[in-house]
Amino acid sequence: MKCDIKGQNIFIQSEIKTIQMKRSKYISLIIATVMTIFLYSCKKDYGNLNSPTVEEFLDNATPTDLNILVSGTESGMRNSMGLYLDDVSTIGREGYRFSGSEPRYLSDLLGANDAELSSSNFYITNTWAARYRAVKNCNVLIQAANNSKLISAAEKNGYIGFARTVKAYQLLLNLNLTYSNGIRVNVSDPDNLGGFVSYDEGLSAIASLLDSAKTDFGGASVTFPLAGFAGLDDAAGLLKVNRAIAARVAAYRSQWADVLTDLNESFFDLAGDFYLGVYHAFGTGSGDQINPLFIPQNNNGEIRLAHPSFAADIAANDDRIAKATLRQSVASLSGLSSDRDVWIYTSSTAPMPFIRNEELILLYAEAKIQTNSLPDAIVALNVIRDGHNLIPYAGAVTQPALITEMLNQKRYSLFYEGHRWIDLRRYDRLNELPIDRTGDDIWDEFPLPVTEN
Amino acid sequence: MKQIGFYQPNFLFPKQTIAMRKLIVTLTLFISALLPCIIHAQDRTISGRITDANARPVPGVNIIVAQTNKGAVTDADGRFTIAAPANARLLISSTGFKSQVINLDAAQTDVQVKLEEDFAKLDEVVVTGLATSVKRRNLANAVATVSAKQLNGVAPGQTFDAAINGKIPGAYINANTGAPGGGTSVKLRGVTSVYGNTQPLYVVDGVFMDNTATSGGLNAITAATPGGSPTGNQDNPSSRISDIRAEDIENIEILKGASAAAIYGSKASAGVIVITTKRGKQGKTNINISQDLGVISARKLLGVRQFNADRAASLSSNPARSEALKQQFLDAEAAHEIYDYEKEVYGNKAFARNTVASVSGGGEKTNFFFSASQKDEGGIVKNTGYRNTSLRLNVDHRISDNIKLGLSTNYINSSADRGLSGNDNSGTSIGIALSSTPSFAQLHPDASGNYPANPFSASNPLQTIALMTNNESVNRFVTGLNLDATLQRNNRSITKFIARGGFDFYNLQTTALFPSNLQFQAVNKGTSIAGATKNLSTNYILSLVNTFTPSDNLSFTTSAGLTQETGNYENLLNIATQIIPGQSNVDQAGALNVTQFKAKYQNDGFFVQEEATIKDAITLTGGVRFDRSSNNGDATKYYAYPKAGISLNLTRLGLMEGGLFDNLKVRAAYGQATNVPAYGSKFTALVVSNIAGNPGSIVNIQQGDPSIKPEKQTELEAGLDFSLLKGRLGIEFTYYNKKIFDFLMLAALPASSGFTNKWVNAGDLRNRGIEIGVNARPVLSKMISWNTSVNFWLNRSLVTRYTIAPVPQGSFGYVLGSFQVEEGKSATQIVGLNGAGVGVLGDAEPRFQMNTYNEVTFMNKLSLRFLLHWKKGGDNVNLTYLQNDFGQTSADFDNVTNKLNVPDGVYRIMQVGSTAAIFVEDASYLKLREIGLYYTIDKPISFIRAVRLGVSLNNYFTHTKYKSYDPEVSNFGTGFSTGVDVDPYPVSKRATFNISIDF
Repeated sequence: MKCDIKGQNIFIQSEIKTIQMKRSKYISLIIATVMTIFLYSCKKDYGNLNSPTVEEFLDNATPTDLNILVSGTESGMRNSMGLYLDDVSTIGREGYRFSGSEPRYLSDLLGANDAELSSSNFYITNTWAARYRAVKNCNVLIQAANNSKLISAAEKNGYIGFARTVKAYQLLLNLNLTYSNGIRVNVSDPDNLGGFVSYDEGLSAIASLLDSAKTDFGGASVTFPLAGFAGLDDAAGLLKVNRAIAARVAAYRSQWADVLTDLNESFFDLAGDFYLGVYHAFGTGSGDQINPLFIPQNNNGEIRLAHPSFAADIAANDDRIAKATLRQSVASLSGLSSDRDVWIYTSSTAPMPFIRNEELILLYAEAKIQTNSLPDAIVALNVIRDGHNLIPYAGAVTQPALITEMLNQKRYSLFYEGHRWIDLRRYDRLNELPIDRTGDDIWDEFPLPVTEN
Repeated sequence: MKQIGFYQPNFLFPKQTIAMRKLIVTLTLFISALLPCIIHAQDRTISGRITDANARPVPGVNIIVAQTNKGAVTDADGRFTIAAPANARLLISSTGFKSQVINLDAAQTDVQVKLEEDFAKLDEVVVTGLATSVKRRNLANAVATVSAKQLNGVAPGQTFDAAINGKIPGAYINANTGAPGGGTSVKLRGVTSVYGNTQPLYVVDGVFMDNTATSGGLNAITAATPGGSPTGNQDNPSSRISDIRAEDIENIEILKGASAAAIYGSKASAGVIVITTKRGKQGKTNINISQDLGVISARKLLGVRQFNADRAASLSSNPARSEALKQQFLDAEAAHEIYDYEKEVYGNKAFARNTVASVSGGGEKTNFFFSASQKDEGGIVKNTGYRNTSLRLNVDHRISDNIKLGLSTNYINSSADRGLSGNDNSGTSIGIALSSTPSFAQLHPDASGNYPANPFSASNPLQTIALMTNNESVNRFVTGLNLDATLQRNNRSITKFIARGGFDFYNLQTTALFPSNLQFQAVNKGTSIAGATKNLSTNYILSLVNTFTPSDNLSFTTSAGLTQETGNYENLLNIATQIIPGQSNVDQAGALNVTQFKAKYQNDGFFVQEEATIKDAITLTGGVRFDRSSNNGDATKYYAYPKAGISLNLTRLGLMEGGLFDNLKVRAAYGQATNVPAYGSKFTALVVSNIAGNPGSIVNIQQGDPSIKPEKQTELEAGLDFSLLKGRLGIEFTYYNKKIFDFLMLAALPASSGFTNKWVNAGDLRNRGIEIGVNARPVLSKMISWNTSVNFWLNRSLVTRYTIAPVPQGSFGYVLGSFQVEEGKSATQIVGLNGAGVGVLGDAEPRFQMNTYNEVTFMNKLSLRFLLHWKKGGDNVNLTYLQNDFGQTSADFDNVTNKLNVPDGVYRIMQVGSTAAIFVEDASYLKLREIGLYYTIDKPISFIRAVRLGVSLNNYFTHTKYKSYDPEVSNFGTGFSTGVDVDPYPVSKRATFNISIDF
C-alpha cells in the first residue's frame, strides 16, 4: 500500500532533485573554490623573522652592514674569554676557580687523582668554539667587504686588515690551548674544512696572516667604530696593534730579530704607560657583555682566587700584590685553600687587555736576552721593576738568570692575563709549577674538542 | 520523553523563512528530496525502560531509530519515549555497555531493554580519522583510552600532565621536576626524534593545542647554559598543556604512532593525544560541586651530613681556616644553632584546595556543559605554588534536523611560582647552594630581617627563597567549533559535511625578580626579567564524509578534506639589571637587555580516507594525507602520508563459533607521519652582539641547512585481541615496528667551522616494542565487584644509520656521563668514562613498564581505586649526589665502605675524571601513584541526588633504590635527554580529602 505512494513520491521528488542537485552542486562548487583559494593562494615561506642571515650580508653590503660585522667581531672576541683565562691560569697555577656548581675546574684542570682533561668538556669545547666563531665572523666580513661595491678600495683594505688581524689573534689563543695537537687554519668553507696543522705550522700561518693584514693596512682607510682601541683605532694604530701581536707570535717562534722589528712598528714604548694597549670593552647596554672576570672581593661560592704561591713568592714591596687582595676569610674547596681574591678588575665594566705595553716591554727584554744584548734587557726589566716599586735588578747577568727574572716579572705583571702557563711551556719549565694535592697533574696541552675528530 | 532529534513531517516546506537561512533551506530541500518515503510513514510513540544486569535503571542511554536522525536519551529512571515507525530498528548504546539493536514488531509500543556491561569495551567508539570513528571491536590499532574516572577519579596530580602519568601503556612519561605547575615529558613508543619534537600533539575537542615550553630567562641568573644567553634548556619551564583541567575531560584517546595517527600528517610523528571534554545531555539539569582539601609534602629528602668538630675542620686544607671552622661548629653547637637546611627548605607542608562546580543539561535543541574551577596549591618550598582558574562552556545546538553546531570554549588563568632549582654555574640555585652549606652555617635573618651572607656558597638559600620571584602567569583562550551538516541521506547512504577547527591563544607573562640585596646580586645589583609571550595557533579541517551501506553486512565510510594549521609565536624578554632598590619594573634599572624571538608556521594539507566494514567483522582502512609546511627547506613541496589497516574479527566472522573466545580479533595497521624541522633551521643567521653601544652582528652558532627535510616515520603495528568468559577477561597483544627515517638532529659540528651545531637529517632509527593489556572483572557480585586492568609494555630502539660522527650530547660530557647517538646502538644509550676509556654505561630506556589500575566496589557505595606503576630499568645521570659530595654535605659522606678506606664522599669524588659509572644509576621504581577510597550516599536529602566522600593519596609510596630525590627528573626539561638529575625541585606527595555533591 505504501509502496505506491513511495513510487509516486520518488517520481515527484526526482524532478525536484534534479533542480536541487544542480543548485547544491553549484553551491558546493563555490564553497570548494573559495576554500581552495583561501587555502592555497599564497605559498608560505616566512623567511627569518628574528635576525639577518649571512646571505644578506654577502649581497653588496653597505658600510653600515660592514661596521655591524666589525662590532659583532669585536664583541665576539670577548666570548668565553673568562673561561679561557681560567683554563690557562688554573693550569699555570696562577689561581683557582672555586665554584660550588662546577667541580671540573678543580678536578680536571688540576688533574686531581686520576682525572684527565676530556675532549668533550666545557673548558676546551666552549672556548675553542668561541674563538672560531669570531674567526667565522672575520671570514664573513672579508667576503662581505670583497662583495661590496659600495666601499672604496682603501676602506675595503681597512675592513680586511682588521678581520685578518683579529682572525690571527683568535687562532693564536686556540693554538695556545691545544699546542702540539694543532689547529685548523683554513676554515672558510664550513663544509670542507682544512686539515690540522702542527704547532709550528700554526704559528707560521698566524704570522703570515698578520703579515698580509699589515699589507692591507698599508693602503687602508679605517672609518669603522671600535670600542677597545682608544688611540689605536685608525689604520696606523691598527697596524701597531697588528705588529704587537706579531711580536708575541715571533717570540713564540723564537724569531728574536723579528720580535724586535715588530716591536719597533708596534705601540711598544719603554717609557710609556704599561697599560697602553688594546682592550676588550665591557658594558651593560643591551646585547653587550659584562667582564666575566669580575667577582666582588670576599665573595662566597663562586670565587676566583690567587694561588697561594702568588703571595708567597712575591718580592717585598712589589705593588703587584694588589692584584690579589687578602680575603676576610680563607676560602677552601676540595682540599685547596687560598686567602687572596684575584682582584685585577674592580668593576663589571672594567676593560680586559688583550695586548698592552707592559707585555711588549717584557717581549723586548726577552728578545734582547735571547740575542745576548743583556744590558738592553736589564734596562727593560728595570723599567718594569721600577714601575712596581722594586729596586733595580741586581742578580747575575747571564742569559739563564735573566730569563728567570723576565719570566718572574711577566708572572706578576701579566697575572691572570693568560701568559704564565704558555711562557713556562715555551721554556720547558712546567715542572717548576707547584703541585698542591698528591696526585695532581700539570697538563701541557688540551685535547682537541671531540667534535673535531 | 527526551527526544534528541525532532521530526518535521512536512519536509518539503520547511518553516525557515529568514533570508539568512537560504543556504540551509537549500540544503534541507536537497536532503529531503533524497529521503525515502519510509520517513514519511506514520510514526508511533514507543516508550521503554533500560536497566542493567542488576535491574537498576541506566540513565543517559542513547536510543536512535536506525537510518534516521531521531533519537532519545533515558532519564534518571532509565525511561525514554521516542517516535518511530513500525518495524523500525532501535540502536541502543551507552558508554560501558554493549550496544544493542532492537527490532520493533509492527504493533509494539513498549520496549524493555536489559544492557550488558561491556567489560572488554568492544563497543567503545574510537576516533580514528579526522572526522570519523569506529568501534573498538573493529579497530586496527591498539588505541589506549583513559576515562574520566581513571584520569581524575583516583588521586590526580596537580596538573593535567601529572594526571596522565602512569596511565598510558606504551608511553614513557617522566616528570621533569617537582616544581609547582607541572612539566612532563611524554614519549609514545620510544624516542621518535633526537632533537626534533619528541612530544605528542594534543588535540582538545578538535583544537590543536600549543605545548611550547617557554623559558622565563632564568639562565641570566643561573648561567646553567653557557654562552651568556638569557634562556637555556635548563630553565625548567612548565609544559603549556598543563593549563587544561583534568576535571573537564570526558575521555582521552592516545594514537601512539603513525599507523594510527597518519591522518594528522606532519604533526603526528610523536603520536596524538585526542582529548574530548564533557558535554551536556538532554534532560534534567545536573549540578555538581566538588571540593578537595589536601596537604602536600616532600616525597623524600636525602638527609644531610652530621657534622662534628673534626668534620667541620676537614672542610678546609688551610690550618688556620680549619681551626676557624672547627670553632664555628663548636660555637654553633653550644648555641644550639645546628640546622638541617634541607628539611628547612624542602620539608614544608603546603595546603592545597580545589573547587570545581559544573552545570550540565539541555533541551531539545541545545545542550550545554559549564564548569568553573579553581585550585590553589602551595609548594614544599616557601613562596612557591600553583593556582589555576578555569571556565569552560561547551554548547551543542541543532540548527535544524540536519545541521548541528558544537562550540567548546575554555578560558584558563594559571599562575605558577616555581622557585629556582636545577643546574647552575653561579651557585644560586637552591639545591646547588644547599649542597655546599654545612649544618653549622648561620643563614637565618636577624631581628630586622637582614639575611647574613652564606660563607659556604654564592647564595644564602633562605634569603633567595624569601626574596626572589619566578612566576609564570598564563591567560589562555581555547575555542573549538564543530559543524556537522547532513547533506544527503537515504537508507543506504549518508553524506555529511564536517568542519572542525578552532584556535588556541595564550599570553604568558614570566616574571623573574632577584632584588639587589640578594647575596649573589653583588655584580648585577638586582635583576628583573620580564617575559611576554603570545601565541596563536589555529587549525581547521573541512571534510566530506559519506557512509554508504549497501546491505546490512557492508558499510563504507569515505572521507576527504582539507586541513590547515598555523602558529604564530612571539617572545619578548627584558632583562634589567642594576635595579633601583625596591623596584621591579624593568625601566627602573641601570641596564636593560632585550631579546625577541618570533616563530611562525603554516601547514596545509588534504586527505582522503576509506573505511570498509564487512559483516561488522572485517574492517579495512586506507587513507592518505598530503602536507606541506613553511618550516621545511622546500616550503612548497607536498609530502604524502599514507596509512592502511585491517582487522578481522574471527568470532564475528563465525570462524570461531562456540569456542573459548567471545571475541577474537587479529589486526594490522601501517602508517606514515612526519615531524617538520624546527622553525629557523634552514637559515644561517647572525645574532646581535653589541659592544660599547655599537650595534654588532655575529654568526649564530647554528648553521642553517636550506635543504632540511621533515623526519619521516613509518609504523607497522599488528595485534591480537580476544576476550573470554563473557567478556570478563579481555586481552590485547600488540607488536609494533616504528622506523624513523632522516631523523632531525642538532648535529655537533667541528667548532672550527665557526658553528657549533646544525640541523641535519642525520640517520635512521627504529623502535620496536610490545604492549600487552589485560582487562578483567575477577569478582562480580551484588556485594563486591572488582575491575582491574594490567598493562605491560616495552620498547627497544636502535640507530640503524647515522651519517655524522657520534659525540656526547644532551648532558655534561663523558666525565659525568652523557647521551650519544651512535649507529648500531640504542638511541638513548648513556656513555662516559669507564675507567678504561669511553664506554657504554647505561640506557635511559626502561627494560619494561607495567601498570595496574584497579577499582573495587562494595555494595555499589564504597569504591577503592588505585594505580600502581612499575618501571623496570632505565638509567638516569645522577649528579645531585655528586654535587652534595663535592660540597661535602652528603648524608653518607663519612661512611667508609670503599676499598681505599677513605670516607665514601671522598672516594666518590676521586672517581671523577676516571669513571662516570657511579653517576649512571638505575632509575627503576615501583610507585603507588594514586589510591583513593570513595563512598557514595544516594539521596541524603530530597534536593541532593548524591554525595560522594573520598580520601586519596597521590605519589605516597615509591619503592626505588635510586639515590636522589626521585627517579623521575629531567634537568634539561622535555626532550630527548630526560633523566639528568641536578638538584631538582624535589617531588612531592599529597593527601586529599574530597567531597562531591550532585544536585
